[in-house]
Amino acid sequence: MDLTPNDEQIAFQTATADWCRDNMALEGARARPEGLWAEIEAMGWTGMTAPGMDLDHATEALVFAELGRFLAPIGLIATAVASRWFPDVAEGKVALALTVSEPEDLRVLDPAGSCAVLMSEPGGLRLFDLPDSFTDQSGMVHATPHAPTIDLSTLQSRHEWTSSLWTEDDPAPPLHLQLLSAAYAVGCADAARDMAADYARLREQFDRPIGWFQALKHICSDMAVRAAAARSQLYYAACALDENAADAAFHVAAAKRLADQAALDNGRANIQVHGGIGMTDEAAAHLPLKRAHLLQFIAPAARETLLA
Amino acid sequence: MDIGFSPEEMHFREECRDWLHANVPAGKRPLDAADAITFDKAWQRRLFDAGWAGINWPTDYGGRGLSIVQQVIWLEEYAAAHAPWIGANFVGINHGGPTLILNASEEQKAYHLPRILKGEAIWCQGFSEPGAGSDLAGIKTRGRIEGDELVINGSKIWTSFAHVADWQELVLRTEEGSLRHKGLSWVICDMHAPGITVRPIRKMSGQTEFAEVFYDDVRIPLANVVGGLGNGWKVAMSTLSFERGTGFIADQVKQSQEIEELIAAARANGMIKDDRIADQLAQLRAEVAAVRAMTYRNISEVVRTGQPGPEASVIRLFTSELGQRLERMAVLLMGDAIIDFAYGDDNVVGDYLRGFAATIAGGTAQIQRDIIGERLLGLPKSR
Ligand SMILES: Cc1cc2nc3c(=O)[nH]c(=O)nc-3n(C[C@H](O)[C@H](O)[C@H](O)COP(=O)(O)OP(=O)(O)OC[C@H]3O[C@@H](n4cnc5c(N)ncnc54)[C@H](O)[C@@H]3O)c2cc1C
Repeated sequence: MDLTPNDEQIAFQTATADWCRDNMALEGARARPEGLWAEIEAMGWTGMTAPGMDLDHATEALVFAELGRFLAPIGLIATAVASRWFPDVAEGKVALALTVSEPEDLRVLDPAGSCAVLMSEPGGLRLFDLPDSFTDQSGMVHATPHAPTIDLSTLQSRHEWTSSLWTEDDPAPPLHLQLLSAAYAVGCADAARDMAADYARLREQFDRPIGWFQALKHICSDMAVRAAAARSQLYYAACALDENAADAAFHVAAAKRLADQAALDNGRANIQVHGGIGMTDEAAAHLPLKRAHLLQFIAPAARETLLA
Repeated sequence: MDIGFSPEEMHFREECRDWLHANVPAGKRPLDAADAITFDKAWQRRLFDAGWAGINWPTDYGGRGLSIVQQVIWLEEYAAAHAPWIGANFVGINHGGPTLILNASEEQKAYHLPRILKGEAIWCQGFSEPGAGSDLAGIKTRGRIEGDELVINGSKIWTSFAHVADWQELVLRTEEGSLRHKGLSWVICDMHAPGITVRPIRKMSGQTEFAEVFYDDVRIPLANVVGGLGNGWKVAMSTLSFERGTGFIADQVKQSQEIEELIAAARANGMIKDDRIADQLAQLRAEVAAVRAMTYRNISEVVRTGQPGPEASVIRLFTSELGQRLERMAVLLMGDAIIDFAYGDDNVVGDYLRGFAATIAGGTAQIQRDIIGERLLGLPKSR
């Protein structure tokens, strides 16, 4: 038993954080540059557990928590999961559909430049084609309109169900998606905590840093507690999945539930710590909050799983 | 990272389980204070004789010299077997002994550690005073040096198990006129020494488990100072780090038992059909899982680096508040049976009432939040 990252895992973690700081700053989440996806692919994060790279979920979760800290594209979660479970089919970026049942339209997140869309269902994953534009019988070309979401870094589109591939009789694929979205939420909670603590050290009122005041200090401490609990459970869940443990579904769900709450509560607290500037569009404090709201809908933890 | 245990560790777990299965006393820990202490001492002796006391204490002083991971495995099996609460041995085993291992002289260790492990000596903690609670550096109890003795005057309060203790971790001012953290010493105080008066205090639950202690020209040999005269603050901080850190692993492990019992109870009485209750139970179960993950992470940190990470205070705060949420839920699931509570009952309501201590004793939740904000997040010190 060892729930601390080993040297190799720390190296992955550090390299990810370093790259993100230089190339994918959180503040830039509202408008990511065109070429970002190609760079992300080149970094290897789209297929860490896919055949060929075969890293474990523990390492992947550590890296995705770092990526989540910088509000990395939502499509990266779907792509990483698809390349593990549909290795021969999924080539290129994969978008993520929120779980809906037929005949409701698919709500697809991060469709820009994606060739397919991944959706989780109880007991399996589906992979749909995602034509960005298509030609109908009369020869008219339709482009799928992309609409904004609350998370400024993520666009969405609506699609009808098409034929799809799915994973069968294997509990692991949907857990993989839930684990990586939990990792994103852990990173998001960390980002809000650090932003708040940084500001509380710098901003002065009444001739002292506002972090001197316990009312603020304790808000920040609670952010640290939530983030630590969620991160620890994420590590445990990743290991449980790696081991194919009988209670892996529970542990991954617990990680997602705590990470979602940490992301949302920390996101909200961060605005309060910033005061007026926290409410502005210009400042970045709203970015983790809005990402947190989006993450609540990605592979949410089912109460039945938590009580099973 | 992995959550698997080695074959040796798994074998060790089997041994723990088998022994506990055959030896855990069937009855409950007695309610009457005197009987409870006899029970605590006898049980500790039994653990010692069978080799289960001081699993990760050095072998030179009667311990087993095993790893902290094995200590955790033991505690997990201990909770699963519904073995008795450590009771009056809490201070000696969880922080008195560990403080001595780290700071005491050879003579002090050789004399005291085996007695703690065998349940022969009950320890208590004399830190808090009427005027020095959260602000521990406000200690006024003083010791005047006379020859090779300290002559002690003053008083302590909230001293758990003082009325049955043989020894005390006493922190007092040994330098006249010294201020705050300076001039304090950590002393092994003989609770049977002349001049000591213990006045038990009743809790709102009805038990008298703590007391006020008065010192009237109490003479303690200078040889009982631990870690050197004037170094009391540093030694006391190591005591608190054990008390707030590894001392609570047993509680953390017990929570995983408690949540399962609560879910079973809610299923049995049908209250789980209430969506809000089901959701709270689901939430508590996730949080209890996180406590185990945090504990494992902290233990791994100890194994890797030799000391717990700065997040020990985070675990302490999270666990203490979670414990209170669990107790609150247990009371909720009782319905109006809470009305039947009688002073001194040792039941769900008794646990609930005593559970308020979790965010007060050993540093209040507010003080823990200060520590987290200042040490973990680097915010400026408010005090
Ligand atoms: C069941 C129980 C057992 C105990 N056993 C022992 C024992 O064996 N040995 C021992 O030495 N002590 C023991 N204690 C004492 C315990 O350590 C103190 O109660 C604790 O440190 C708080 O001190 P206080 O009671 O004086 O409260 P105070 O310090 O007066 O605190 C009162 C309130 O003010 C808050 N507060 C105080 N200072 C600040 C601040 N700077 N910022 C924000 N809030 C603040 C506190 O959080 C609390 O809510 C025990 C206590 C309990 C309840």
